[in-house]
Amino acid sequence: MQSDLELIKVGKVYDNGTPAVVDFDLTVARGEFIAFLGPSGCGKTTTLRMIGGFEAISAGDIRIRGQRINDLPPERRPTSMIFQSYALFPHMTVRRNISYGLEVKRVPKVERDAKVDRMLATLGLEDIADRRVNNLSGGQRQRIALARGLVVEPEILLLDEPLGALDANLRRTIQNELKILQKTLGITFVFVTHAQSEALSLSDRVVVMNQGRIEQVSTPLALYTRPATLFVAQFIGNNIIFDGAVTMTQGTNVRVKTPLGLLTGSANENFEAGRLAKIIVPTEAVQLHQANKRDEVLVRNDGNAISAVVGRSSVVGHVQRLSVDLPTGRALSLEAHVDKYPGDQFQRGGEVLLTWPAAAATVIAA
Amino acid sequence: MQSAVMKPALALYTTLFLVFLYAPFAILAILSFQTGPEGGPQFPIIEWSSYWYQHLFGLAPPSRVAPLPIGESLFRSMTLAFMTMIVSTVLGVMSAQAFRSRFKGSGIVFYLIVLGMMVPGVLVGLGMALVANFFGIDRHWWSTAFVLHVVYTFPFAFLVMLAIFNRFDKSVEEASWSLGVSPARTFRKVTFPLIFPGVLSAMLFAFTLSYDEFSRTLFASGRDLTLPLAIYGTFAVEIHPNVFAFGVLTTLFSFALLGVYAILMSLSVRRARRIAIQEE
Repeated sequence: MQSDLELIKVGKVYDNGTPAVVDFDLTVARGEFIAFLGPSGCGKTTTLRMIGGFEAISAGDIRIRGQRINDLPPERRPTSMIFQSYALFPHMTVRRNISYGLEVKRVPKVERDAKVDRMLATLGLEDIADRRVNNLSGGQRQRIALARGLVVEPEILLLDEPLGALDANLRRTIQNELKILQKTLGITFVFVTHAQSEALSLSDRVVVMNQGRIEQVSTPLALYTRPATLFVAQFIGNNIIFDGAVTMTQGTNVRVKTPLGLLTGSANENFEAGRLAKIIVPTEAVQLHQANKRDEVLVRNDGNAISAVVGRSSVVGHVQRLSVDLPTGRALSLEAHVDKYPGDQFQRGGEVLLTWPAAAATVIAA
Repeated sequence: MQSAVMKPALALYTTLFLVFLYAPFAILAILSFQTGPEGGPQFPIIEWSSYWYQHLFGLAPPSRVAPLPIGESLFRSMTLAFMTMIVSTVLGVMSAQAFRSRFKGSGIVFYLIVLGMMVPGVLVGLGMALVANFFGIDRHWWSTAFVLHVVYTFPFAFLVMLAIFNRFDKSVEEASWSLGVSPARTFRKVTFPLIFPGVLSAMLFAFTLSYDEFSRTLFASGRDLTLPLAIYGTFAVEIHPNVFAFGVLTTLFSFALLGVYAILMSLSVRRARRIAIQEE
């Protein structure tokens, strides 16, 4: 697959000396939908703005289709940016907003009109084409911004929290449209968001950032199942994290000695015995058992079984919310679906076993 | 409860404010209809007449009251105000644009610009006169005085534009760049139309401030007088209601100017709309 966008050791240091982005390395394939995800201030927007040419880069290289674009101003980069504030031109109609980029490029009127009409149709904006943009709804404005950015046929579309200003329902609708649009057009999308659900549902790959650095680049699924760092484990999904030291590695299985006993998980790298590690268990992978079934469940779960005492519990519809206390004194919040655990199995003060298969847990270096 | 007291109080306050603002002008306007040439600038009105208006335009029979020397000075003041308006507004827009990004020494430059409207006019006027003398430059309304007018009105235009840019959403410009439009063209096609109401305000400020500028012009304008100086000159002899009549006409002119401003303002909005429709 050909790469559309390459960031090579890209760095950004603000004038006052604070580093905003450090050693950002990423290769994006043509037609890929990639999301930058992270808490605010993690450098994701700065990185996007560096790709768009709105921020100078302090170190490294940015290439688009092999061409180094570090020093090109925004208007000479094959990128289009979609802003959270929509940034529509308030003194123009919808149609004029969209045709603006083509007009300035002196595209002949016939061709221009055809392109604008097609874009209006694609985004369902025909009915409001002659309206001024001021009085339109957020969803309409967002579609206009998309149409305006796409009509100039960029190689890469940059989206800076484009759904941030929309309400939840509309956001879901536009999310779907965005995904379909991207698939149809086959353009590379780089999407910045601080909303997990957005990044995970839209993108082919997610770049999780924290404090100016990349924490992990992987598919949405792998972020859940194989977090690479402690930050990712805490930021994505609902994970239980235990500290310990590696005792042995067997294939991809790594055994970690923790205060709760020996626990086993998977790892992509080899761990030497004695190395400090963390074992990350998604709460969704945790099974609950009666305390007296210890022997039979131990085998099935590679020895992963912790006994715990049920604390508070409350039923919310079909889900029972449990708080269980571990022998170490730590409390965990778990959910038990009623159809999986019928009857009232978990009484306050009752003993339960928590188990998970080794493949479901991930071991990372501490 | 509170508004039952507050609202009438505020209404009274506003009324008083407006009375104090406009009463002097109203008195002046009334007195301008005093009969002439024997009627003076005081009450009571001996007889209502438009004598002083006729006198102003040289239509009254010759009398002991000399006509107001306004013909040429009015032209000078208008020309000067127009030149000042153009230069100050262009400078104001450009410097406010520069201040959108913090540059080294921007703080000092800001105060240096604003100083132009802070320093006492008499001092600057005198200083200009001395400097001109020292270098052997002739003082004229269109040279030394013009420079001082720009120094005085430019900060106003600058501050107006600064306030306008302060509320300006920069991402609109960035969106334009990102569509492949150069910054210069973006300024013309996007930025300028959006800041145009502010530009009009800056122009209005510069024009009116320059038009009735007195203290700076007094020392810096040399032999040919501008309108405020010419009128002041007549006070030295005796005040006749013809000055009031002229004041009324000038004020009407100012209102006309405001009217033009309002029309231009609404036109700029309508024009954008019309262009948009024509495009179809």
